[in-house]
Amino acid sequence: MSKPSDLIQGTLDLLILKTLALGPQHGWAIGKRIQLVSGGVLQITQGSLYPALHRLEQQGWITSKWLTTESGREVKSYSLTKAGTKQLARELENWDRLSAAIGLVVREV
Amino acid sequence: MARWVQVVRLRLRSLVRGSDVDRDLDRELRSHIAQEIDEHLASGMTLEEARRTAMVEFGSVGGIQEACRDTRRVAVVENVVRDLRYAGRTLVRQPGLAVAGSLSIALGVGANLTIFSLANGLLLASPSGYRTDRLVHIRTGNGSHVSYPAWRALSESGALGGIAGYSIEASVNWRGGDASVTIMPLLVTANFFDVVGVPMQRGRGFTAREATAERDARLVVVSDRFWRRQLNGDPDVVGRSLTLNGSPYTVLGVLAAGIRSVPGYGLSPDVYLPISRTLAPDLEKPRAAAVQLIGRLHDGQSVQAGRAAVRVVVQRIAERGDDPEFRTITMFTRVGGLSQAKDFKEAGAFFLVLAVVTALVLAIACANVAGLLLARGTARRREIAMRIALGASRSRLLQQLLTDGFVLALIGAATGVALTALLAELLLRVSLPLPLPLEIRLAFDSRLAGLALGLVLLSTLMTSLMPALQSTRPTLVPTLKQGEPAYGPRRLSLRGLLVIGQVAVTALLLVAAAVFLRNLTRAQSLDPGFDTQRAVVARLTFVEGRQGTIDAPAIQAVVDRVRSLAGVDGAAFSEGVPLTVFSGSRVGTSMRLDGAERPVHVEYDANRVGPGYFGAMGIPLLRGRDFDGADRSSAPPVVILNKEFADRYFEGRDPIGLHLAWGERPGSRSAEIVGIVANGKYRTLGEGRDAAIYTPYLQEPVVGRMVHVVARTAAAPDTVSSAISHAIRQADSSAAVQIQPMSSALAFAFLPSRIGALIFGALGMLAGLLAMVGLSGVVSFSVGRRTVEFGIRMALGASRGSIVRLVLRQSAVLVGAGLGIGMMMAVLLVRPLSAFVVADLRPNDPLHLAAAAALILAVGVGASWGPVRRAVRVDPATALRTD
Repeated sequence: MSKPSDLIQGTLDLLILKTLALGPQHGWAIGKRIQLVSGGVLQITQGSLYPALHRLEQQGWITSKWLTTESGREVKSYSLTKAGTKQLARELENWDRLSAAIGLVVREV
Repeated sequence: MARWVQVVRLRLRSLVRGSDVDRDLDRELRSHIAQEIDEHLASGMTLEEARRTAMVEFGSVGGIQEACRDTRRVAVVENVVRDLRYAGRTLVRQPGLAVAGSLSIALGVGANLTIFSLANGLLLASPSGYRTDRLVHIRTGNGSHVSYPAWRALSESGALGGIAGYSIEASVNWRGGDASVTIMPLLVTANFFDVVGVPMQRGRGFTAREATAERDARLVVVSDRFWRRQLNGDPDVVGRSLTLNGSPYTVLGVLAAGIRSVPGYGLSPDVYLPISRTLAPDLEKPRAAAVQLIGRLHDGQSVQAGRAAVRVVVQRIAERGDDPEFRTITMFTRVGGLSQAKDFKEAGAFFLVLAVVTALVLAIACANVAGLLLARGTARRREIAMRIALGASRSRLLQQLLTDGFVLALIGAATGVALTALLAELLLRVSLPLPLPLEIRLAFDSRLAGLALGLVLLSTLMTSLMPALQSTRPTLVPTLKQGEPAYGPRRLSLRGLLVIGQVAVTALLLVAAAVFLRNLTRAQSLDPGFDTQRAVVARLTFVEGRQGTIDAPAIQAVVDRVRSLAGVDGAAFSEGVPLTVFSGSRVGTSMRLDGAERPVHVEYDANRVGPGYFGAMGIPLLRGRDFDGADRSSAPPVVILNKEFADRYFEGRDPIGLHLAWGERPGSRSAEIVGIVANGKYRTLGEGRDAAIYTPYLQEPVVGRMVHVVARTAAAPDTVSSAISHAIRQADSSAAVQIQPMSSALAFAFLPSRIGALIFGALGMLAGLLAMVGLSGVVSFSVGRRTVEFGIRMALGASRGSIVRLVLRQSAVLVGAGLGIGMMMAVLLVRPLSAFVVADLRPNDPLHLAAAAALILAVGVGASWGPVRRAVRVDPATALRTD
């Protein structure tokens, strides 16, 4: 189990953007999906999820609108903007570089 | 692109409709919890269990809301708005603090703004004109002026878009009604209005084509002030004719009100005339100093390019052989702002001293407010400690406390601006005893606005930074547990330090004030070397070209007429009168003196005087004889020296009967010394002992347009003034006559010391008052806190005297320390003031220090009086019960 503060700075943004790249989602579902896909390793608490969503929206990477789900719940659904798609590409590139670099250091014999 | 639109839209939404955003977030979080509950229900929990688990997992809703709000980045603005509201409320609740604090700052800021706007208006502001950022002042060669032919060559060269010349050193007689008045013209080259583009309110300025000097055009443009005061604001003034120097001039236009003239320094010439040979007889002489230059750059031409273009022309003119030194450009700067000119630097130095002084006054005022805020901070200790305990960050609290100070400073500065505006209005209305038309117009422009803003920020920091840091000290938290320590050790508090600083600065200012006040009395009692009480001075300005009245015998006839009046003991004429604006000229040259082996360099004040001058002025003739009617141009040239000249350059030889000759080579003009008179003051009261040479007016080849008649009266000067004036007008009705007692003619000489005494006296008093308020505040605060202690002491048998001593000891420590520091500063810092006071007055004379110290002690006693009375009235029984 990993707390978001243990995540590398900015990784949460990447996770959210990547998740939204697959299609619009609301906050609860985003958190669940990340947990699911990571096999339960990454648990995003609400205390970091919502401020992060807020920040991404304030920066214009994502937009939101209110929808009603099939079960009749009102949810706020987020989707990626065009700028957000570009930002995701940039962050992915950064991530690849970073993980490769860390890999080099860590696996050095 | 779209992204920025979204960002801005969201930020605005959170700022303006923050509650909507909050509600939205709330709804979102609720929805999240609901889904969480749904999930738990689906896994088989009861509704109650599901809800509790969801809530526990979710954690603090408030924390998330706060974190989201922070991401919106409008928290700062929101906090500022909240702080401003809070500061407003606290100040309304403490009107005493609000009024005292903002008034202190208002006085400090007002003083600073006034001095700066004066300097700005007189020195820094651009003259009024069309696109003045393209205008440049040009000086070349040795002096400020160039000859008329040089101007013509420069103007015709096309090096710049236009080059105009102007001259302020002239006067013309205007005949209005049945009397002539001397007015100040600005003589300008014909293209002046084309080049500068001075704004007009009526009519127009003359153009280069119609007003060239060669055509001798009789055209005039009048100033708004002249139009209002002398022409009664005549609406049909354009086309009207004015009689100037006896000839009719057609009024072409009236300048706009409130404009700044090209010469600057607040000078506001009455009329603008095209320069011509009639007005300036030496106009075509190649080396006569005729006009100062102002140029307009071509569109797109840089200052450097303009300078280079002018240099080419200047070198060509110099090579034609007129003046080898003409080739160097000594000034080529945009109008407005700082200048390298010497006159500018001297005036600037004076303003710099004033600026330092007013900054000190502001510092004292801020120290007072800081003291008040510190006292309040102590009173608010519990509140602040509580807020820290509840999780307020120190920076957040600092922001709040600084906002308090900011509001105070803002109110104070606004009041200060209003005070300055009021003063500006007053300044325009009073007429100073100046011989020149000056309009002191305070300049309200972006520079002043910037300074005002800077002063607000500065006073915010000076008033509240230290109190804020002090009252949010982390160690304050224990305060929550206990009340104020009532009998803590008495160490020097921060407020005490502030008061010491205040007293020190006040002491410094009072020493400066003492210097200037003493300078004023000294100047007034200073013996100028002539009689100022029983003499009348009449200044006669003749019309150019009327040689019938202007030559010396005719003037002698006027003097004889005056001399025969009843009540007049003696009369004489002279070119200059010492210590007035027209005091004669100062000369530095080489001279050959009889008995000296080689030429010596001499410096002296020169004046040309008629027979009987020394008697009429009351200047004692020490040796030899006075000039008489026989000393005419046909007779051998003679001079009279003052004692200083004889002592300094003749080194013990008896000069009577010896000769002196001007210039280094033999064969030049020389004269015999026939008399020696006593020394005196010639140009300023502050000058040391100057050498002087008097030459007989009747021997001079050229006679000026202006002459003074000095009359010595038996009775009070006022009684004979009108008779003298009448006698002069009978002789020449076209001459302008200004007649006044010698004592008021000298008002100009006293002006600098009066202004200095007024400004420094006022600022010193202001500082003293502010320091008194500050000291009184500190002492009475400490008396209030020590009430219980005094009660105990009295209950144990302490006498009232010992309580008084206890309180006074505290004041004495503060005042004594401040005074000591202040005196040390004064000794070091007032020395430069000697440039502004009479020669034999030493600024750090112990007398000045003693006077300032006495005043400071009085301030200390005054400030302690109230607190002491309160301390001895403490009733031990009541005091002990309060604890």
